[in-house]
Amino acid sequence: MTTPSSRYDAIIVGGGHNGLVAAAYLARAGRKTLVLERRPLVGGAAVSEEIFPGFTFSVFSYVVSLLRPEIIRDLHLPRHGLQILPLESTVTPLDNGDYLASWPDADANRRELARHSPRDAEAAVQFGRLMHHMAMAVRPILGMVPPDPASLAPSDLAALLKLGKHFRGLGSERFHALYKLMTMSSADYLDEWYEFDPLKATKAASGIIGTMMGPRSPGSAYVLLHHYMGEIDGAFRAWGFQKGGTGGISNAIASSARAFGAEIRTNATVERVLVKGGRVTGVALANGDEISARVVVSGLDPRRTFLDLVERSEIPDDVVQGIERYKFRGSSGKVNLALSGLPSFTCMPGPGPHMRGAFSISPSLDYLERAYDDAKYGEFSRNPYMDIVIPSMIDPGMAPPGKHVMSIFVQYAPYHLNGGWTDAKREAFGDTVVKTLSRYAPNIESLILHRQVLSPADVERITGLSEGNIFGGELALHQLFFLRPVPQWARYRTPIRGYWQCGAGTHPGGGIMGASGRLAALEIVNGR
Amino acid sequence: MSVSFDVIVIGAGSNGLVAATALAQSGRQVLLLERANVAGGKSRVIEFAPGYRAPSLGIEGGWLPPPIAHGIRLELPGMKGPRIAASVAGVDGTMVHLPQDPSSAAEQIRRHSPRDAARWMGFTARIAKLAGFLEALYLLPPPDLDMRSLADVPGLLGLAKKFRGLGRADMTELLRVMPMPVQDLLDDEFESDALKAIIGATAIRDLRQGPRSGGTSFGLLHWLAGAPAGSVRARGAWRDRPDALTVALETAARKAGVTIRYSAAVANILIRDDAVTGVAITGGEEITAPIVVSTADPARTMALVDPVWLDPEFMRAMQNIRYRGCTSIVHYALDRLPEMAGSPDGVDALSGIVSLSPTLDALERAADAAKYGTIPHAPHIEISIPTLRWPSLAPAGKHVLVARVQYAPWHLRDGHFWDGATASALGRTVTQAIERVIPFSHSAVSVMTPARIEDEYALTQGSITHGELMLDQILFMRPVAGSGRYAMPVDGLYLGGSGAHPGPGVLGGAGWLASRRVLADAKRSPGGWR
Repeated sequence: MTTPSSRYDAIIVGGGHNGLVAAAYLARAGRKTLVLERRPLVGGAAVSEEIFPGFTFSVFSYVVSLLRPEIIRDLHLPRHGLQILPLESTVTPLDNGDYLASWPDADANRRELARHSPRDAEAAVQFGRLMHHMAMAVRPILGMVPPDPASLAPSDLAALLKLGKHFRGLGSERFHALYKLMTMSSADYLDEWYEFDPLKATKAASGIIGTMMGPRSPGSAYVLLHHYMGEIDGAFRAWGFQKGGTGGISNAIASSARAFGAEIRTNATVERVLVKGGRVTGVALANGDEISARVVVSGLDPRRTFLDLVERSEIPDDVVQGIERYKFRGSSGKVNLALSGLPSFTCMPGPGPHMRGAFSISPSLDYLERAYDDAKYGEFSRNPYMDIVIPSMIDPGMAPPGKHVMSIFVQYAPYHLNGGWTDAKREAFGDTVVKTLSRYAPNIESLILHRQVLSPADVERITGLSEGNIFGGELALHQLFFLRPVPQWARYRTPIRGYWQCGAGTHPGGGIMGASGRLAALEIVNGR
Repeated sequence: MSVSFDVIVIGAGSNGLVAATALAQSGRQVLLLERANVAGGKSRVIEFAPGYRAPSLGIEGGWLPPPIAHGIRLELPGMKGPRIAASVAGVDGTMVHLPQDPSSAAEQIRRHSPRDAARWMGFTARIAKLAGFLEALYLLPPPDLDMRSLADVPGLLGLAKKFRGLGRADMTELLRVMPMPVQDLLDDEFESDALKAIIGATAIRDLRQGPRSGGTSFGLLHWLAGAPAGSVRARGAWRDRPDALTVALETAARKAGVTIRYSAAVANILIRDDAVTGVAITGGEEITAPIVVSTADPARTMALVDPVWLDPEFMRAMQNIRYRGCTSIVHYALDRLPEMAGSPDGVDALSGIVSLSPTLDALERAADAAKYGTIPHAPHIEISIPTLRWPSLAPAGKHVLVARVQYAPWHLRDGHFWDGATASALGRTVTQAIERVIPFSHSAVSVMTPARIEDEYALTQGSITHGELMLDQILFMRPVAGSGRYAMPVDGLYLGGSGAHPGPGVLGGAGWLASRRVLADAKRSPGGWR
């Protein structure tokens, strides 16, 4: 019950990594901050759980590269347990029994590429340079509160001016390259550079992750850049694992937030955000408790933030419409396997350093595109794209001795499945994944001790992410920057005074990046 | 080297005619060269069977922006939109008609979905507003990042404001809508499959993309720039004859003093010391001119230039332009009208456009096949009977049926290519598809495959649009980044065809803007007019 002493400066709804980052920054600025998390553990989609006795999984999000370096620095995350182990290689098994690998060593990498296409090996150097420039061009935008181009407020005009200056500073050539990257399909974009199809497919795969697009869908090239960002500008310049699983990242942020004085309550479901006279007053919990606060920050996705947590009457109709047409369309599933031993891939049999990296089931652009075609019409892919890692190879603590955990990210598993997701459909999906994998690693079936299959409907049920979209809404051009989640409300504010948003449904969007949480917190601190 | 001109314009389509006329009117000696034996380019009328003629690559008239007509003192020929702008055969075979007039259209839609009918007026008004912004944008060279073109931006905004009362919020909305898949735009608005399908078909016109592809909403807006208010489909057609505009433009060109030569294909553009000196015509004749404006597509234009004069980066960018023609046109000679034409609605529908794709998914599935270089089993087909408007196209009492077919990819994979057998097979598929909805019988058929379109109209990869009209190939990116303002990187060479901004469908738009650039450059160069 409300007592004056329990009044907070800020309540964060949802203890996902963005909510935790926001809490840490607010606490650091001296705000009395409370995080309320529905589940028994913090992290949202970045959690580690012992799903089967002795086997710990990064249940949803499984690798990290985008976490902003300034967040790691500001929140002293290494001191709180952040420990990223590099994911060193990617192996793409090919249909002819060969493989395409990328290695951490530049020379080895070039030799490997040249084995398939000397031209591509050369192009890769230039391509890498261009992507570096593109990432640098985007970097300031990722760290910027989106201006509202329709506003005439001095701060917006100043921000627009700054943005214009930034683009002019890039010079025509880079600006044009960036424009292409924003508008093209990843397949078309890569076609301009490379000839070896499995290479294009493996690169294009990062352009379709989490999105209801195929490699030939215009707009997918941007998602490619979004993922490339981490490799270039992330703190680790590569994809990596958190020791103990992705939940360790969330725990580190939570620990930092607590150290700054934030309070975190789990098993605390927020039922409603309380509003009086157009101004937030606090939250009501499912157990009937009410907690008052001057500021409430939602780390949930836009649908939940605008439509579920507050009365519709509090939100103007055009904003409601805007949120209703905001696209989620979760398209990915996850299969977590507990294995009695190491699988062996036909293209590279037996153990070896490659087992510490990723396996990408992306033999050709057509393969990925056909996987998308299935999903477009409401079926999961008969031959899905899969990104596979074996975290226990890097952190043996995640499985009992000699045993392993395998994480399989699967695309496409459309949320809007014909007939809806049922237990039978989920298992059929799991079977398809295992069967597809066994074409490349025939002994996999005999190693499976336990299997957890997560459809987008499961992701939604467990994490609360609408339609199971891992990015808190599609990363499509019409849902980015000053359009995310809707024009006019893309600056972390909402039409309700004191009610803010800080989830991945705001600029700059998904992945374990933390940028939304940080920018929202800074806006709150500076904006009042 | 007997003849010499101030300017040579290549291609007597609408862009070439407009460019030549504009330059002649400002006092230049202009020669217009056309490889075919008539003017009109993509919209010339062809005789596809003895006594049967048809407008070749399009049924609709297109849009020549009135300020351009004014600029070359052209009296635009009369237009007459069909009463029914578009119809679509629904899943159950029933026909949904969409009259041009929005309130009558809303009336029709109400039969299928009262909810959609209620939204119709609002939707068409919104689309007209956004397309209106493009109308303004298409009258000026594309703004780019450099200061010189940024100086145009206030003018552009002013134009949009003046024309359509567009404000900053509308601009945000335009930025939001342009990259969207048209399917998302339509799903957000409507529930009727047939309604969505007919609007979606406008958006994917001549693209190797389905309605789920990002950027197809821009396609919708593009094809509706200049369309009558409330239309989501047709821009109307010329009243008196399908090629009335070509006739008017040709007359204007001659009146301005343009010398026109037909059956004169350019073999080379002559260059010395990085500057154009003239052209050589097939057969060897050379004609001197310091300025050449090509309205051929970018690839065809550059093929006329000796690559030693071109920068490798520029060449690479030009080679990366996606053409991907995927439209095929089938012409039928009819002894009599199909039965459907028995009703007044039927006649009006068939003199406009009837789409046979009942759903957006049907369009998408047809596009799927093309992605893999194959011809779909159920292509997207739009038919029209132009003789209902212009009876003189066929012998008395007879008719012509035109079917526009997507997707027939120029590039066929797996050992297939466009030959007689492929063409006949496509013809059969199309005939059967039409017969299922509109029983008809024909006495002759002619299949214009993308390969034929490439050969007969000099269109690279059969691309009617001179390069796919997608977001990365418009504005300052058209034809390629850094060359979006008509001057090519050889002194005196300009691109003024649909491969330059504002692209296809804006008749004379690129030709007009290229002529402005030629005149501006002449003013700037030290010796005045070279």
